[in-house]
Amino acid sequence: MPVDLLQGKLDMLILKALTWGPMHGYAVTRWLQETTDDELLVEEGSLYPALHRMAKRKWVKAEWGISENNRRAKYYALTAAGRAQLQAQAGAWERLATIVTKVLTAQPAEVTA
Amino acid sequence: MRWLPDRYGGLRRLVRGGHVEREVDEEFAFHLDSVVAELTARGARPEAARAEALRRFGRVDTLREETVVVDREIEREAGRAEFLYALGRELRLAFRSLRRSPGFTLAALLTLGLGIGATTAIYTLLDAVVLRPLAYAESDRLVQIGSEVPGMGVGSRWGLSVAGYFHFQEHGRTLESLAYAAAGETTLTGGFAAERVNSASVSAGIFDVLRVAPAQGRAFRVEEERPGSERVAILGWDFWQQRYGGADVLGRTITLAGLDREIVGIMPRDVHLPQARVDVWLPVAFLDPTAPPVNSHWVSAIGRLQSGVAPDEAQRELAALTAQFPELFPGAYPQSFMERYGFDTYVSALQEEIVGTMARTLWVLLLAVAIVFLVAAANVANLFLVRIESRRRELAVRRALGAGRRALATHFLGESALIGGGSVVLAVFFAWLGTRLLVSIAPPHFPRLDEVGLTPGAVLAAILVGLLTMVVFGLVPLLQSTETALLREGRSTTAARRRRGIRSTLVVSQTALALVLLAAAGLALESFRQLTRVDIGIRPENALTFQVALPAMSYQGFQPVLEFYRSLTQRIEELNGVAAVGVTNMLPPVAGTGCSVVFIEDRPLQPGEEPRCVPTVTGSPGVYEALGVRVDGEVPSWAAMEHRAAGVVVTRAFAERFWPGEDPIGKGVRGNGAVPPYYRVVAVTGDIRAHGVDQPPAEAVFFPLQAIDGAPLWSPMYTGNVVVRTAAVPPLALIPQLRAVLAELNPEVPLVNPRTLHHVVENSPSMARASFTLTLLLIAGLMGLLLSAVGVFGVISYTVAQRTGEIGIRLALGARIETVKALVLRQSLTTVLIGVALGLVASVAGLRIMQSLLYEVSPTDPRVLFGVVAVLLAVAVLASYLPARRAAKVDPASVLRAE
Repeated sequence: MPVDLLQGKLDMLILKALTWGPMHGYAVTRWLQETTDDELLVEEGSLYPALHRMAKRKWVKAEWGISENNRRAKYYALTAAGRAQLQAQAGAWERLATIVTKVLTAQPAEVTA
Repeated sequence: MRWLPDRYGGLRRLVRGGHVEREVDEEFAFHLDSVVAELTARGARPEAARAEALRRFGRVDTLREETVVVDREIEREAGRAEFLYALGRELRLAFRSLRRSPGFTLAALLTLGLGIGATTAIYTLLDAVVLRPLAYAESDRLVQIGSEVPGMGVGSRWGLSVAGYFHFQEHGRTLESLAYAAAGETTLTGGFAAERVNSASVSAGIFDVLRVAPAQGRAFRVEEERPGSERVAILGWDFWQQRYGGADVLGRTITLAGLDREIVGIMPRDVHLPQARVDVWLPVAFLDPTAPPVNSHWVSAIGRLQSGVAPDEAQRELAALTAQFPELFPGAYPQSFMERYGFDTYVSALQEEIVGTMARTLWVLLLAVAIVFLVAAANVANLFLVRIESRRRELAVRRALGAGRRALATHFLGESALIGGGSVVLAVFFAWLGTRLLVSIAPPHFPRLDEVGLTPGAVLAAILVGLLTMVVFGLVPLLQSTETALLREGRSTTAARRRRGIRSTLVVSQTALALVLLAAAGLALESFRQLTRVDIGIRPENALTFQVALPAMSYQGFQPVLEFYRSLTQRIEELNGVAAVGVTNMLPPVAGTGCSVVFIEDRPLQPGEEPRCVPTVTGSPGVYEALGVRVDGEVPSWAAMEHRAAGVVVTRAFAERFWPGEDPIGKGVRGNGAVPPYYRVVAVTGDIRAHGVDQPPAEAVFFPLQAIDGAPLWSPMYTGNVVVRTAAVPPLALIPQLRAVLAELNPEVPLVNPRTLHHVVENSPSMARASFTLTLLLIAGLMGLLLSAVGVFGVISYTVAQRTGEIGIRLALGARIETVKALVLRQSLTTVLIGVALGLVASVAGLRIMQSLLYEVSPTDPRVLFGVVAVLLAVAVLASYLPARRAAKVDPASVLRAE
């Protein structure tokens, strides 16, 4: 069953996608689908406000280019600030995941009489 | 080509059909098309594929809107950044370009800085003294109230009478409150070295009128206004800090003029009378509402109008109350007196009374510095023009490379922004300096000087003027620079002619303005010359004067006072180098204009005629010689005074008024009743301008220090001016010995305000004001002259440079050098003469505002106008002769080779 993406985690995934090199929005979608085996439930369109917001914050740099099929497409490239942001977010996410996992996998304590 | 950062880009794109939206649409379309392509490649039908793509994409409209909003923000931020970047770049470029021409930069900065700074300084003075309200709550309601007596001479004014004062206080409905306030001096003794301090004599109501209250202790009470209950004092803040170090002094005793008073209060910091600084506040102690009405007008009154009442309205009410005087106080105000003197009451805004004639002087000076600034600005405009001329090649190249008008405008705006900004900084500095300078050279008794200081408003005004100048100078040169740039280097005569046109206009207006300034300075100079030529009737050289004030407590009556002055003058006479010494209470030319009624023996009053009121003063035997007054006759001796047998000395103006064409010696004069015996006139002085250099000679009588039997005098001379004439000794060198003599005689009497007679004359109000006005107008006039000379020189030099080719050809064709010089001179003089003509018209029309500032010279005095025209023309010829000589030195051979 596909999983809903936690609010605010989309940025992190997009940044991760862009570590493979500059790509347009559609390519980011495809990469996400392939990497998650279609298990992630994302409105494809919601990628765009997120991308533009990150462009405003200078995490990514947007530039018009020519796509594989010879059409004008907007390409996004990771900036140094974006890379740093990705590291920070990924680090925080991993720690959270570890903690949540630890909690969820904890065994009921033995009650001593 | 973008010229200015594109702040309206968003708007423009919206008008063009929404560039942000189109980009987002394109991006979305690419995405959807790609999905469709992918699905159809897998075998889906196009319609189904499109529906599936849209489903996966989500709510297109909302997402589009969201994305567009983000993009708009990006655009705005980019615009701002671009603007700042462009600004920085232009300023850096401008800075570099200005650094390459330090001469131009320095000249422009200094000229503008001085021009704006001087204007700001005078404005600061005007603002503090004239424009800013007095430092009291709702001070626009404060008025001065007094008596008008046109019958005593045009503009004659007295104070109120005691009866009138109480009448107005009780019945004046337009007045909220009315009080007495007079500034004076008193002697501080008892624990301190005897010293004069500034005192205020006030009624209890003054605190309500001015809306001030003691910071400590209490205000005066109404009963303390009454005679005999005056033994209290309130200290001024500064005095309290300096003398008592701010200690608790309430209830302690202070000795003033020999009288012990209890300190009952301390005034707050910076609270003084409107007309003077105050060290100690004393109750008036003479205001007695039960006293019988007397026709004596010594009450200087300040009132506060009811809220919303104009001074005119109060004036009408008080005039109506005044008209009742003959009915109410028939003894003091007979109807005949009211009619003969046109007696009335005036009410005028206190601020106007305090500022007085200084307002007009300061407005004239502000106008003068503003004109200097305009002349200076014209020069700077010229500098900018020259600079652009010299860069025509550079501009032409830039233009050819595609720089538009706007790009060039940005560049010049950058330069003028730096010049403007720099000159504002300089201007604020010069204004600060100038304000201090003005305060230090301001005449004595200049009102409200302690309130003068550079205000944020004045600084803001300087900045605004600087900004305006900068925009004008940045853009005006552009009117021609682009034309110029398109033309080939230096060949087009039409363009050259137009440039000359602009420059000639500048020279014409500069010359005209400079002439107005020079004329104003010339008038001030002539007026001052007239003042210094006035024979004031005393010889100010080699003489000094100081004041003494005897405590009435220890010198009761005429005899002790006479004895004091007699021993004092005797001891001073014995000092080395003293030629003459005397005492009087009238010090020309700064004597007050008070008067007392006198009766003339052989001029009995006609029925209905009022007695004459003249200055009645006291003079010791030696005072005429000490002052250097010419005397015909035998002045009374000490012995005659002691034996109550002394006569009087009258001034020539007095003699001519009462005994025209007769010998006054032996005539009889007295005060206090028209019954014998009369004082005999024993001597006549020359004319003495006692009330001011610009005032008519005083009609005064010098009475002896002791009355003759049966003809009482008014009051002993408790305050006197000792005058010492020296021989072969600088007058001021005597001061220590004089101080010692006085201390020996009575340590409670201080030596006050010693100064040379020369100093007294120079600093008398009319002289001091005239020399203050003259100094500043002369500076303004000379600056105007110099600046316009520079302007003429610059333009003629430029013209000569332009016409080098033509001149070379003329010379080659055999023109004489003199002819070439004449050609250049003629051209410059034509321009200057137009300016002179305009300036003359402006002077004749405009300088009338100086009328009241001038003494014995008309604002359109032909000699003055002729003189300044001559000076201006001479300077203009000189300024154009130098370039003319250069023109004559042109080498025809090299010119022809260059052609």
